[in-house]
Amino acid sequence: MRFIADLHVHSKFSRATAKNLDLENLYLWAQYKGIHVVGTGDFVHPKWFKELEEKLEPAEKGLFKLKEEFAKPIDAQVSKSCKGQVRFLLTVEISNIYKRHDKVRKVHNLIYAPSLNAAQKIQTRLGAIGNISSDGRPILGLDSYDLLKITLDADAKNLFVPAHIWTPWFSALGSMGGFDSMEDAFGDLTPHIFAVETGLSSDPPMNWRLKQLDDFILISNSDAHSPAKLGREANIFDTEFSYDGIYKALSDKNDKGLVSTLEFFPEEGKYHYDGHRSCEVRWHPQETIKNKGICSGCGKPVTVGVMARVEALADRAEGSKSKRWRPYQNIVPLPEMIAEAKDMGTASKAVQEAYMNILSKLGNEFYILLDCPVADIKEAAGDVLAEGINRMRQGKVEIAAGYDGEFGTIKIFESGEREHIEQQLSLF
Amino acid sequence: MQRPHDLNESQWQAVCHEGSHLLITAGPGTGKTHTLTHRIASLIPSLKSNEKILAITFTNKAARQMQDRLAALGVDPSQLFIGTFHAFCLKLLRDYFEHTALPKDFKVASPEDITGFDKGTLERISRIKSSQLVISPDDEYRTYQRYLRQNSWIDFDDILREALLLMEDDNIAGPLRGQYRTIFVDEYQDINIVQNVFLKIMACDGVLLTAIGDANQSIYGFRGSRVELFRRFQEDFLPARVLTLQENYRSAPSLLAASGQIMGCLDLLARMDSAGKLVIHAAGTDRLEAEYVAHQIEKLIGGLDMMNSRRAKYSLGDIAILYRLNAQRHVLSQALEYLGIPYQISQKPQRKPVYSDEDVLGQNEEKIEYNVEKVSLMSVHAAKGLEFPVVFMAGCEDNLFPLDLIGMKGDPQEERRLFYVGMTRAKEHLYLTHARRRQLFGQMLMQNPSEYLSDIAEELKAYESVRRHSSKKDQDAAQMKLF
Repeated sequence: MRFIADLHVHSKFSRATAKNLDLENLYLWAQYKGIHVVGTGDFVHPKWFKELEEKLEPAEKGLFKLKEEFAKPIDAQVSKSCKGQVRFLLTVEISNIYKRHDKVRKVHNLIYAPSLNAAQKIQTRLGAIGNISSDGRPILGLDSYDLLKITLDADAKNLFVPAHIWTPWFSALGSMGGFDSMEDAFGDLTPHIFAVETGLSSDPPMNWRLKQLDDFILISNSDAHSPAKLGREANIFDTEFSYDGIYKALSDKNDKGLVSTLEFFPEEGKYHYDGHRSCEVRWHPQETIKNKGICSGCGKPVTVGVMARVEALADRAEGSKSKRWRPYQNIVPLPEMIAEAKDMGTASKAVQEAYMNILSKLGNEFYILLDCPVADIKEAAGDVLAEGINRMRQGKVEIAAGYDGEFGTIKIFESGEREHIEQQLSLF
Repeated sequence: MQRPHDLNESQWQAVCHEGSHLLITAGPGTGKTHTLTHRIASLIPSLKSNEKILAITFTNKAARQMQDRLAALGVDPSQLFIGTFHAFCLKLLRDYFEHTALPKDFKVASPEDITGFDKGTLERISRIKSSQLVISPDDEYRTYQRYLRQNSWIDFDDILREALLLMEDDNIAGPLRGQYRTIFVDEYQDINIVQNVFLKIMACDGVLLTAIGDANQSIYGFRGSRVELFRRFQEDFLPARVLTLQENYRSAPSLLAASGQIMGCLDLLARMDSAGKLVIHAAGTDRLEAEYVAHQIEKLIGGLDMMNSRRAKYSLGDIAILYRLNAQRHVLSQALEYLGIPYQISQKPQRKPVYSDEDVLGQNEEKIEYNVEKVSLMSVHAAKGLEFPVVFMAGCEDNLFPLDLIGMKGDPQEERRLFYVGMTRAKEHLYLTHARRRQLFGQMLMQNPSEYLSDIAEELKAYESVRRHSSKKDQDAAQMKLF
């Protein structure tokens, strides 16, 4: 079965997340987006875990569904065009902060569990080590290596995925808080890791340039901190619709269950380039080298972004592929596309309304972004958006690259072009 | 023999000293344990087959550490007894049980075992037992001892007193001296009179004692420790040599200078060339003080999320927060919890609870499987013997340092030493914080800075205030934008 999975999200119990980030809203927004398997996030958090126990019930092996009584009121809200089956998979992200070889390391790691029982075992182990109740993504002074060991000890079917591996401050290979190789971070246990998450600021071709990543399959997730951000990146599977199906697709090097990934344009990610947000210094890695890494604003070293970091660790030329490579498609979230078409802010009411309107006419967001005939979009939402999505599918977008925590900005239309498209087309 | 490169001249002298008792005065960070373990290791080869070295530590934890360090120097553990006074004395009571007046199946009583006596009474009796050689028992004391005996119990203090009684029998003390020709005592400034007499009985007929410690770090007077025993060493043990370790390998020079000023300008020599920073922070309330501490920690470790990330030198395990009273702890731990900063609360070296011989001997310690880094929260007392790159001392206020609060009054000299012990835990960053208003024991107290702060020269202090933090809501909003 073909299905789309987003396996890195958070709950309302994580810091800096939306208050409505609960199971009902995950269920609702997964349907808007066209996601079939969504992570629960935060399963180590005692209160969230209780909610999972209360509101979910087992469905296909290792997957869970929202109980009828909780799903029903939501079903009434979802337009017919978007209705879809949604399953949950138990996930959590841990923030590991620790010193190794006299350097402070900050690494975020994802854990997937095949059952509530397995999840609870991890919760118990981590609860004995640190505080797991004040943050859904708990900070633990635990070495990533030890977290991996705990994960593997708790259940043989648990999956451990280093999160957004290039993020400068909080990742396995990050320029500021990470290591130079996965082996450095995870030692002899590295072979027990099957997949790594590329994060928003890198795309698969960047990762293919490192031989050390050859044995890992690359996955992409949203790391959503609010329901509307689900599916910014995602994975398309075609395999058994179960935890085991996903497990096999990630762990078995010959399995073709993971078909492709949906990717942010990496330039849009907030750590693509180098620079300093507070100094408004945004540099291409070449410029950073020219300036010897020192910010022209404050005289301190700039935050080295993902592009430079990949270049520093790459041992293959651009354009080469890794053994476990998969095709991918760059996407821009539909609300951003609408905002660009309307030349308005993404958060504006008009954009939000148009978003819901288009979904109810055409179907879920992934369908619109990936598969919907351009003619249909034109009819339902006008020429400019249709042209915009057409360009996006061909990768014809201009992006001012993100840097030092600032998202990149998308530009699809030149000024005056929108009017031009409308006029031109009205001639026919 | 030539001096190894990892010992300085005075450490080397202390290691090589022969022919008399020895007192090593070792200030904070002068390599006390390093020197002690090297001296022990150097004496091992000259032991006869039936001889052992007796090494007395202040806590079970210190005993384990010393064991590890000696093992690293290649010392065979069977050639030593390392443990606390209580551990050694309990061993004697078991070994020579038939010579005591104790019931055969005597057990060391835990505080939970003991009922019918209030905390104050037990503390008073404990203090008598640890500070008086000859006790003239009052009714309460007699009732308590009878109660113990009825249950075949002895309490913690009795372990030492009963062992001392054993030692009066020369048929026991004699062979013991034959077995332990060399005795080491760590933290000598904190021994009590019972321990002192025990040592006097042991350390004669050619038995040589090496004691090490620092009178400036004597902080256990309330448990019967007597710093004058340290100063009297050369009278108690004849003949004795006194050596001083002066080179400090722990603290940045500026921090060393500042702590020296607390004790009236000590002449420790700084051997670290790291840049130190001593920050004084005045907060409006104890809650704001705690928030300041938590936010500084967030900064020191380079941020907890993408928002406030920066380069960091320190990790969670590098940082300790110290306080005078455990009652100060809650507000501090709350502030850490609010930011999700992992922390652990460390207790004072425990004399109690004691449940079994294994506990006294320190054999029941929990096995730690993973090394988990956390910020340490502890009283200054509990911090003794430890060091951290970054130390916060909270509540540097006139009724907490020196303690003089709601019926609690510390000995002024000892309070000053305690403050000194706290300051000298820091290697690079030391924050001394105080609040103008403090909620303690259900009262709102108006506070002034501790007099100790003004003993530190102005040029060594940096005053730091906070910009008003934007509200939590603003911060969250800013953060949400990033995801």
